[in-house]
Amino acid sequence: MPEGRTEEVIDMADGYQGKILRVDLTNEKITTEPLNRDWAKQFIGGKGLGARYLFEELKPGIDPLSPDNILSVWTGPLVGTMTPLTGRYVIVTKSPLTGTFLDSYAGGFFGSELKYTGIDGLIIKGKAKKPSYLWINDGKTEIRDAKNLWGKDTYRTEELIRKESGEPKARVSCIGPAGEKLGLISSVTSDLTRNAARGGTGAVFGSKNLKAIAVRGTLGVAVKDSESFAEMAKEMIRKDVVENPDHAGMITDGTPILVDLSNDAGLLPTKHWRTGTFDGVKGINSDALKQRVLVRKKACFDCAIACGSYAKVNTGLFKGAATEGPEYETLGMCGSNCGIHNIEAVVKFVEDCDRLGLDSISSGNVVGMAMDLYEKGVLTKKDTGGLDLKFGNEEAYSKMPRMIANREGLGNILAEGAKRAAKKIGKGAEDSVMEVKGMEYPAYDPRGSFGMALAYATSDRGACHLRAWPIAADAYGSGDPFTPEGKAAICVEDQTRTSVKWSFIFCDFYSVNFANMAKYYSAATGIESSEEHLRKVGRRIWNLTRSFNVREGFARKDDSLPKRMEKEPLPEGKPKGKAVSRADFEKMLSEYYSLWGWDQDGKPTKKTLVDAGLGDITKKLPYLK
Amino acid sequence: MTNGLKADKSKCTGCQLCGLICSVKHVGKFNPSQSRIDAMDVFPEPGEYSLNFCIQCDEHPCVEACPAEAIKLDEGLGIYVVDKDLCTACGSCVEACPHSGIWLDPTGSIAMKCDLCGGTPECVAVCPKGVLKR
Repeated sequence: MPEGRTEEVIDMADGYQGKILRVDLTNEKITTEPLNRDWAKQFIGGKGLGARYLFEELKPGIDPLSPDNILSVWTGPLVGTMTPLTGRYVIVTKSPLTGTFLDSYAGGFFGSELKYTGIDGLIIKGKAKKPSYLWINDGKTEIRDAKNLWGKDTYRTEELIRKESGEPKARVSCIGPAGEKLGLISSVTSDLTRNAARGGTGAVFGSKNLKAIAVRGTLGVAVKDSESFAEMAKEMIRKDVVENPDHAGMITDGTPILVDLSNDAGLLPTKHWRTGTFDGVKGINSDALKQRVLVRKKACFDCAIACGSYAKVNTGLFKGAATEGPEYETLGMCGSNCGIHNIEAVVKFVEDCDRLGLDSISSGNVVGMAMDLYEKGVLTKKDTGGLDLKFGNEEAYSKMPRMIANREGLGNILAEGAKRAAKKIGKGAEDSVMEVKGMEYPAYDPRGSFGMALAYATSDRGACHLRAWPIAADAYGSGDPFTPEGKAAICVEDQTRTSVKWSFIFCDFYSVNFANMAKYYSAATGIESSEEHLRKVGRRIWNLTRSFNVREGFARKDDSLPKRMEKEPLPEGKPKGKAVSRADFEKMLSEYYSLWGWDQDGKPTKKTLVDAGLGDITKKLPYLK
Repeated sequence: MTNGLKADKSKCTGCQLCGLICSVKHVGKFNPSQSRIDAMDVFPEPGEYSLNFCIQCDEHPCVEACPAEAIKLDEGLGIYVVDKDLCTACGSCVEACPHSGIWLDPTGSIAMKCDLCGGTPECVAVCPKGVLKR
């Protein structure tokens, strides 16, 4: 197998390693090159930097599962330092699920370890002739044979790679059978239970015959003045993380604390969005987790919060099942949305998702949809292979991840994601599907928080709750959840902030403001920064990913609202009788485009791009000619 | 009782902040591989964290094993520390230690073990879960 050796790693002492790795799987060629410093300055790292490289190097209109797609993995200037909650990485590619720009993140330990090998990120092109994995150890990279790993689940893959490499501390980011079989809701799993899950990242790995990226890094990273930086970080960990009241619930409970909040607000997706109030909520909420399955709290690298819950089932049908989590999204999508009353069944479902390499949000969504269609008689036992797939049937439900990952029977259809599956099933199934741009809706029902409809519609990777979260100010706060007023401004503000946050790469659960992000950034790099500066960077990044999608043909027509959110009012709870009217939705959308400086078809104008510092990409956007 | 660090591993959540601050204080960069305390998640089985550091045991076999007499008593702190000028990184101490409390730097240039940061261990101060104690 070919080998590439980088030169001695030079201590850049500004948070960056100053290098990226390039892997051409088709020609088995490995090279390193200097990081594009201009882009690093303009786009920071993570999301922004990954988007800039992808925009430049990816040919528009290519098939995301062809060798033409680019698979890139990025850290950021703060990853691996003591900056709180930055032990993360992002996979940036074109999504096979949505056809959009895709950035999928994971915590755990892979991100910092990758950076400690001496690079800021890597760009993978082409397709390996046979199943392979990448082994990156400090300055040395190899393409290794993955024959013995192909078909193995993610837990076993990590174990075997550690054994084969003789590095028990190697960190592994890999796919399971779902990604190998090009399932469009497949994830990339690292550290067993941490997933860069959304958008079909696993299928992109699979399409390149790439089973895993394994890393062992002992080179470390330095910032401008590492010792004083550590002193500052130590103080911030105490004051801005541990003692920050925003984090109190995350420290005691983690995200499962949201299950009751959402149920009380009447917007917890239940039985495939038939309602937002779940009669079995006590069986899947945070108390159920703590009292019935919690073993211990678990942190990602460099995190003083430790929101993760290592959980194990002690009795019953699913005895022995164990996982980290389940977290809120999973409890919603794989719990209430499937009518599941017992957290033990969810633990089993999620362990299977992690082992098989499946996105648990999308998996819960498509299984809920299948249950819905089964109860309506659209699907029958003939379709389900004899399974009585009604809501709440834990035994039938627990078989679904395996069927989806292995593409068995109905699983073969569901593996394509909700939108394609509904089309294939037909008989009106399309009317019940809950997605935007092909990405499955996550666990906040917009009928209980109208702004979420706009957040999902305008996210750059399809229906996603991690780009804007207007629910914080209304259904979870004191604002009016049932008005379109003011939601566009919240989405613009959130998308600007998260664009920056995902470029450093901070965890969602660190409630970090612009001023503090600028403080860490300046201290690490020596670059002068401020809230105003970072807002500009955020606007630049969001306009860039939008431009990427526009170049791929996306427009207003694709910033959509699932039919049911408009036509089916919620039947009970606080949002009883509420639906998101077409007029309200279009009003939010129009206002949103205006605020961003885009035309009413959702395309950034030349002036907006130039103002955002993106003048150089305008010539690559045919619609501006 | 020894004078070394003490840990309640049941409280550990595996964040590795201890190793991060240890490395920056000792080698000037963020690099858990160069820290004197080693935390590692061991999942799914046994589903816990390993946490290794020098406990300053009474027997100190590392001291006897060292052919260069590089592990010396710091009388002020009452602990044994590695003298970096004398250490030849031969690894005898690593083999002799029954507690996995001493290891070689990844560059292979020196043996590393906890020196209590001269009396005020940084890892104890930074640990967000109160796992470590002096």
